[in-house]
Formats: sequence, structure tokens, C-alpha cells
Amino acid sequence: MKQTSQHFTQNVKAALADPTLKIALNRTTGLLQRRRAQVIEEFAEYGAARAAAEKIKDHTLDNLGHYLEQFEANAAAAGATVHWARTPKEATDIVADICKAEGARTATRVKSMLGEEIGIPEALARAGVERIETDLAEHIIQLAEDPPSHIVMPAMHKTHEQVADLFREKHKVPSNSDEIAALVESARRELRPKFLDADVGISGANFLIADTGSIVTVTNEGNAELTVTPPKTHIVTVGIEKIVPSMEHCAVFLRLLSRAAIGAEITQYTTFYNGPKRTGDADGPENMHIVLVDNHRTEMLSDFLRPMLRCIRCGACMNHCPVYAAVGGHAYGAVYPGPMGSVLTPAMAGLKNSKDLPNACTLNGRCKEVCPVNIPLTDMLRSLRARQFDGKLVTPVTRSALVVWGWLVRRPGLYHLSTALAVLAMRIWSMNRGRIRRFPMAGGWTGSRDLPQPGRGTFMQQYGRRKQK
Amino acid sequence: MSDARNAILQNIRTANGALPPASEIEAAAAALIENPGDLRPSFSDQDNRSRFVEKATSERVTATVSEVAHLRDVPEAVKAYLAQASVPLQVALQPRGALTELNWDGIKTHSAPSPNEPAAVSIADLAVAETGSVVFLSAPDAPVLMNFLPLHHIVVVSAELIHRHLEDVFAIVGKAQQDQPRNLSIVTGTSGTADIEAKNIRGAHGPRFMHLIICQKVT
Ligand code: SF4
Repeated sequence: MKQTSQHFTQNVKAALADPTLKIALNRTTGLLQRRRAQVIEEFAEYGAARAAAEKIKDHTLDNLGHYLEQFEANAAAAGATVHWARTPKEATDIVADICKAEGARTATRVKSMLGEEIGIPEALARAGVERIETDLAEHIIQLAEDPPSHIVMPAMHKTHEQVADLFREKHKVPSNSDEIAALVESARRELRPKFLDADVGISGANFLIADTGSIVTVTNEGNAELTVTPPKTHIVTVGIEKIVPSMEHCAVFLRLLSRAAIGAEITQYTTFYNGPKRTGDADGPENMHIVLVDNHRTEMLSDFLRPMLRCIRCGACMNHCPVYAAVGGHAYGAVYPGPMGSVLTPAMAGLKNSKDLPNACTLNGRCKEVCPVNIPLTDMLRSLRARQFDGKLVTPVTRSALVVWGWLVRRPGLYHLSTALAVLAMRIWSMNRGRIRRFPMAGGWTGSRDLPQPGRGTFMQQYGRRKQK
Repeated sequence: MSDARNAILQNIRTANGALPPASEIEAAAAALIENPGDLRPSFSDQDNRSRFVEKATSERVTATVSEVAHLRDVPEAVKAYLAQASVPLQVALQPRGALTELNWDGIKTHSAPSPNEPAAVSIADLAVAETGSVVFLSAPDAPVLMNFLPLHHIVVVSAELIHRHLEDVFAIVGKAQQDQPRNLSIVTGTSGTADIEAKNIRGAHGPRFMHLIICQKVT
């Protein structure tokens, strides 16, 4: 997809002015939060499982080379071909070359964020391969020619009324009803024959299992198995951080992933794949290729962004983010939106092209709280802000304001005096009306709402008075 | 692309430093899941079978269950299910001797599922009490698509093959690469989607209905 993170401010304005988007986001984020809260409450061992998951990921990252080589050897023993790619270009070239060698005309695809990250859709278009998205949400956005707006539910920005209109326009046998069940049925009718006819099936992987060489997909729709079983060739593109030592370690993550993502104890379909079709098998691909992709991940490994490599792409952080809930995923202008995206996009596309993202955060900390692998998202966003300041990527006004602020807070006496004066000035300005309509340099705030009149004195003054009592 | 391979592994070495010996890494990995009981839901007041049925028939998983004493009683249970679901008496059978040798009088059977197969019958290789899941291991007599193409998926589950947790299933399959089937699928209920307004809808691409026939004795 085309990166537009550098236009975050304009994107946000457009998003806020879109009333349908507001409806779509309201219908979804609240529901996802409630479902997650319920299954986590029922899972008494959640705290221990989360702590273990964090440790397992850290251990795997500490020994990443060992595990990747182990995975490679085992996947090869199962009959898969393992490829390595440093960049999106290397990865998509490998995919395009395989498609060409197979003479592929059509490719079915299971949703994978890594696939979006490296630009599989564009690469298939360049290679002249017709792409068929099989995940319902990806099918919707393919028909609408939209980029994804969420990592688990890429069509979260669409209401069912919009989907109904779209299907009426694009499906061969659309349904008359606008009901969600009828829309799902319409997509099933449209896609079923395409699954069985495709030349290549492309998937990502939620996990790589080092000691068996398996790749794992997790879906609710069952579209992964339907996508990769009938075609002659199965191609997997996957980030190197997806590796875990064994199936037992994977079990810890399976329990957390579905709970965090959709509020379920397990997803409907979890499949471990080991190489291509075997002698006597009635179905399955004849070739299996696995492309292990770096794309800045090894850079993050030697950086303060290292904990971000624990991410299992559950989407909980965006479901609980007030900024995401207000503007939706497209405003972020990148494959990964929300809190995790605001960390990943600067790492992958450079801070210069995404400098608003780390600032689009209230630092309320809910993302970290709900993250199943305890990624300190807010700390990293704060560090990215510091990096912007050091890299002179902030505007001169912000920069000088921060310099003055920094000078002031290092002089507590002066700081207390000036805040006390500011409070006094604001109280006089408000003339005891309880609110402030307009205030110098606070237009950004007072443009759409009033400022409250401050209490009697600063926090420290009030605290001092109480202590004396 | 061995250039890419070497470069990636080299970058990792630079970031991580020297690795400890493999045996130490393995010991550290094992220590992290030493007490799996602390990391998963416990249900000490329930036996495997009752937990399995509770979860499989829960609001989210939505399977229905019937029970038979012997494998030979399965065709009758299939007939009863199809009749109450108003599905024609015709099924695709997993091409397994144990199934195909049964007496299917009164039901038309075939072995290869069609693209829009109304109903299919499979035997689950294992099942998981914790989540109400059935497990399929692909094999010449257990094609993968059998479990994904039908609208009604009827699954025979042997009571003694219901294990407590996911880890127990993995232990039975075996840890090593050569122990793995080509596909190990853990299936929990039917194909669903929450992709439109986060509403849960059944029958996305795979089965819309799952009926479990729990069999006391498979032999
Ligand atoms: S950062 Fe955490 S909460 Fe967000 S997607 Fe990744 S694992 Fe989930």
C-alpha cells in the first residue's frame, strides 16, 4: 500500500469529518473490548501465562539465530524450500519468481500483515498474477480498493450497509438482503470456486516452530486451509520474529492470541503445516516455499525497539486506543496502525516519514496494559519523541518551547513560582466564571471547547496547605 | 539468496553476541514451560468428557452432540442428524476403513467431497477437553479438504481420545520433525467470521454446522 503517514494531520482531519467511519468504529471497538475483558476474567492463570509469553519471546529473540537455523533444517527435512529475504523487494522477487516458474495465473491469498508490509498485492499485479483475497475482510477491501485499517479486521472501517452496496455492485450473485449473514453467504458463493481453481496459495504464518519446522496459521474462517491445500504451490511469507521453540511453547501463545484478538478461548482453526503433499495423500500442495523476511527486524534487535519484536499481531492495543477509536486505521497511513503501528512504522519507514505518529498518543497506557506480551508501547513512543527532538525533526516552535520548558523544570523554585503566576493569571482572566472561552496561545484547545478555571493555587500549593492542617 | 541468509544471520549475531551451547538454550527453553499447569485454565472439578461437551456446545463453539455406544451405531446417528437438519441422506465419508466398512444402508455415500458438499463424516484423531476442539492429522485416508468443504461437518469422536490440554495432544503426536503429519488441524466448531462490524457469523468459508458423535468404543 502507499505510505501516507507523513500526511497524518490531513488524514486525521478527513477521518474526523467522516460520519460513517465514526459509526463503523463505534460498532466494533467497544464490542471487542468487552469480549476480551470477559474471557480474560475467566482465565485465572492469565497473569502467569502473559509473563511466561513475554519470557519465551525474549528467550527466542536472545537465541534467534539458533532457532532460525533449527527451523530451516527441520522445514527442509519436511520437504519445504526455505528462502531468506532482507528487504521487501527481495521477498516479493522470490514470490514472483516462484509464480513465474509455476506458470501461475491466479493466486489465492490468506490475510497476512507481513504480506501487506512487503507489498505482495503489488508484486502479484506486476507479475500479471490475478490475486484473490480469501479472508472476508480482505475480500471486502480488495473489492473496494481500500488499504487495510486494522491488523485483525482490515475492513473495520466499513459498515454492513456499505459492504452490502459493494457486494451488490461486484458479486456475480449478490444477496438481496443487507443482513450480515446474507453478506457472508454471498462472499462464500463468490469465492468457493476460486479456492479450488487457483494455481498458487499464499499465506503468512502466525508462528514458526523451530523444533519441528512447522508453520502455523490461525483463522476463524478456515480460509487458510482452503487457500493452501488445493493449489499446486503453497508460498509462506513470514517475519523472522514469528519463531517459537516448540509446539508446547506455541500453546501458551495460542491461548493468549485468540483471547486478546477476538475474546475467544481458541480460534476455530489452528493448523500446523509440515512440508508438501506426501505419497498417497489425496490433497495438498506439491511444493511448499517458506520465505523468511527481515525488513528492519534485525535492526530493531540491536535497538531500544527490541521488545516490539515480541508482538504477536493481536490488535488489542488498537482496540483499546482512544486515538485509534477516533480516527480509525487509515489515518496512520501505513500497514500497521494504532499504538503498535506508531512504533513499527518509524522503524520500517523512517521517523522522518512518520514523525506525527509517536505524538498521536495520550500516553494513557492502556495499550501496554492489554498487550498479551507486555510490550512497553508508551515507553517506546516516548523514546521515539526524544529521538525526534535529538534528530531535529520537530518544528522550531516546538523545539524552542521544549528547550525553555527543559530549562525551567530544572529550576524547581523558579518553576513553582511561574506555574503559580500562571494559575493566578488564568483565574483573573476567567473572572470567576468557572471556564475560559479564549486564552492566548491556547486556540488549539479553546477552538472546540472551554478550558476549566484552575483551582486555588497549583497542585503543590494546595498540597502544602493540606499538609499544614 | 544465500547472501541474504548470511547477512541476516550475521546481523543477528552482531545484535545478540555469541550464543551459548545448544544444550544450554534447550534447557532454558524447557525451564520456561516447566509447570504448564500454571499457564493454562484448570478445570479440576470436571472430567475430560464433560468439559469437552460443555465447551463444544458453548455459545461460541456451537457444535451439537449425540452419543453412541459403538462405532457400528454411527450410521444411525448420522441418519438421525441429517433428518432433523433436513439434509438429504447423502454424505461424503472420510476414506477410512473404520468408517466405510460400516453398514450405511439408507444413506448414499461417496469418498471425495464435492466443492459444495452438503455433509461429510470424519473420524477425529484426537480431541481437546480444554477447548472443545477436535484434532485431525492428515493422511492418505484423511484428506484435509474433507474437513473444510462440507456445510454440515459430522465428526466421530472416540471418548477415550479426548485429552485434557493442547500440550497433551502435542505429546501424543510426538515432538520430533519426523513425528509430524503433513497437516495437524485443531478445529473448534465451525467456520466463522467477525469481519463485518465484529458480529460473529457462522459458515464463512468452511462448515456452518458441526455435529459431534461421541463414541464409547471405537472398536
Ligand atoms: S503490540 Fe501487543 S497488543 Fe499490540 S498487536 Fe502487538 S501483541 Fe497485540
